[in-house]
Amino acid sequence: MRPATCALLILALLTGSGAQADPVVVVPARLGVEKLSHEEVTNIFMGRFRALPSGAPALPIDQPPGSPLRTLFYQRLVNKDQASINAYWSRLHFSGKATPPLQASSETQVIQQLLTRPGAIAYLERSQVDARLRIVFEFPP
Amino acid sequence: MNYRDGLLRLMAITLAAMPLAHAESQAGGNPWPALQIKGFGTVGIARSDDADAEFVRDLSQPDGLGKHWSGKVDSMLGLQANLTLNARTAAVIQGIARYRYDGSWRPELNWAFLRHDLTPDFTVRLGRMGTEFYMQADSRMVGYANLAVRPSADYFGPIVVSFFDGIDASMTTDTGAGLLRGKVFAGWAGEKTPFVKPYTWDLRGSRMFGGHLDYINGPWQFRIGRSQIRFKHQQPLNEAARQAGFPIDILAAAPELSIVGRHGTYDSLGFAYDEGRLQVQGQISHIRYDTSAYEDTTSGYLIAAYRIGQTTPYLGYSRTRSSSARLSTPMPPLIAAGIRDFIDQTHADQATVSLGARWDFMQNMALKAQLDMIRGERDSRFPMRNANRDWDGRMNLFSLALDFIF
Repeated sequence: MRPATCALLILALLTGSGAQADPVVVVPARLGVEKLSHEEVTNIFMGRFRALPSGAPALPIDQPPGSPLRTLFYQRLVNKDQASINAYWSRLHFSGKATPPLQASSETQVIQQLLTRPGAIAYLERSQVDARLRIVFEFPP
Repeated sequence: MNYRDGLLRLMAITLAAMPLAHAESQAGGNPWPALQIKGFGTVGIARSDDADAEFVRDLSQPDGLGKHWSGKVDSMLGLQANLTLNARTAAVIQGIARYRYDGSWRPELNWAFLRHDLTPDFTVRLGRMGTEFYMQADSRMVGYANLAVRPSADYFGPIVVSFFDGIDASMTTDTGAGLLRGKVFAGWAGEKTPFVKPYTWDLRGSRMFGGHLDYINGPWQFRIGRSQIRFKHQQPLNEAARQAGFPIDILAAAPELSIVGRHGTYDSLGFAYDEGRLQVQGQISHIRYDTSAYEDTTSGYLIAAYRIGQTTPYLGYSRTRSSSARLSTPMPPLIAAGIRDFIDQTHADQATVSLGARWDFMQNMALKAQLDMIRGERDSRFPMRNANRDWDGRMNLFSLALDFIF
């Protein structure tokens, strides 16, 4: 096999059914937000600064606990496992500074809340994104 | 006994708030509960290899560890209720049961405030709040949030004020190259603290204010801060002297030991780096008093950790040193020697090397084991309780802790 074919095959294996593809960060299309930087997404989801570029409050929504998408999201966002994320939030929660993102009970509820709550922002699998939503951040490949 | 009564009272407060929250959540058709109750706790045991002085987590504890395993220094239980009133307003109460100044485990209401976000970047809180004299000081009881078994006693030990009643405001701005956050607070202390046994010193009503500035960029956080407290009540110096068989009016003989209306000023610098598996943080502080009752103190610590799977080994170093207090009023040598004895108890000069590991063995729980090697001078007394004359300032400490949140 030629090296190029070999690389393509490995890539297909990695991005295919075996490995999960990176989540994308979305907001409702009508919100008018075009793009967010990695740092802005971190600030919103880690409770450091929850404002959209317009100055309006941002309302982050988490996938259900134990969801592989959630684990992958935080791994890519801040390079942390779920235990470290929980420890991080316990400091902010028990010192009354900030609360974790709202936690949805299912993937469907994430989208439903995205479309109804002002300032909502969430991460999804790319295949879940439709015309009502806009991708504002993608992890670099 | 008191412990149980207090816990029951705490639960009663929480339950009383429930119907209110329930009504709110139904009215709003909100899928997320308006009332959220969460807790944290530590079951910790520790012992030292030295019976000549007792190690305490901080000076709010009246006595500490000897050569037998004991759970009193690190064990605690906290319960917090968050009540969301609307998108921008919330009420938070938190009670903590721990070994306290009077030797009891009676829970205290450590937090009870109303929080309002005027804008996403400007927040005001009113009520009772944890003191944040230093970076992370307001979460120092939450074992699960912290890497080590306990925050450095050399550094956080002198902070006996855990909450205040008043107001704080914080403002954040995105500079485009990192966040800048400023916070100011003002209020009054609401606690007592142990003095020479069995006496306590009343800090209630002592005025406090302060502020800090954070710069946060990616994995970095930098902090500069200053806080000040103005002591309202006198220390029971004369009573303690009488008990020690030294029945003179110390405050008349050495007025510079008076603390009423005097100030403690806490300046600090801190940084934290937290990226992926690596965590490093350090702080340095200087405490200044305009009374001779306490010695000015400089302290600092550095801790580094690297996570491997579920286990995070860490290594820390801390140091505290105070300048010797001066007695300026001339007095007969015998009296001077007696008073000297008293103020020598506030001298600190020690360093600690800490070695430990945190094991996140299951969700919301962590086990920790830690060895602290305390190496001090013979005259270092302040960080400990009940130090004998013979104590050489050296001690090893063994600690185990189970931290959890729920």
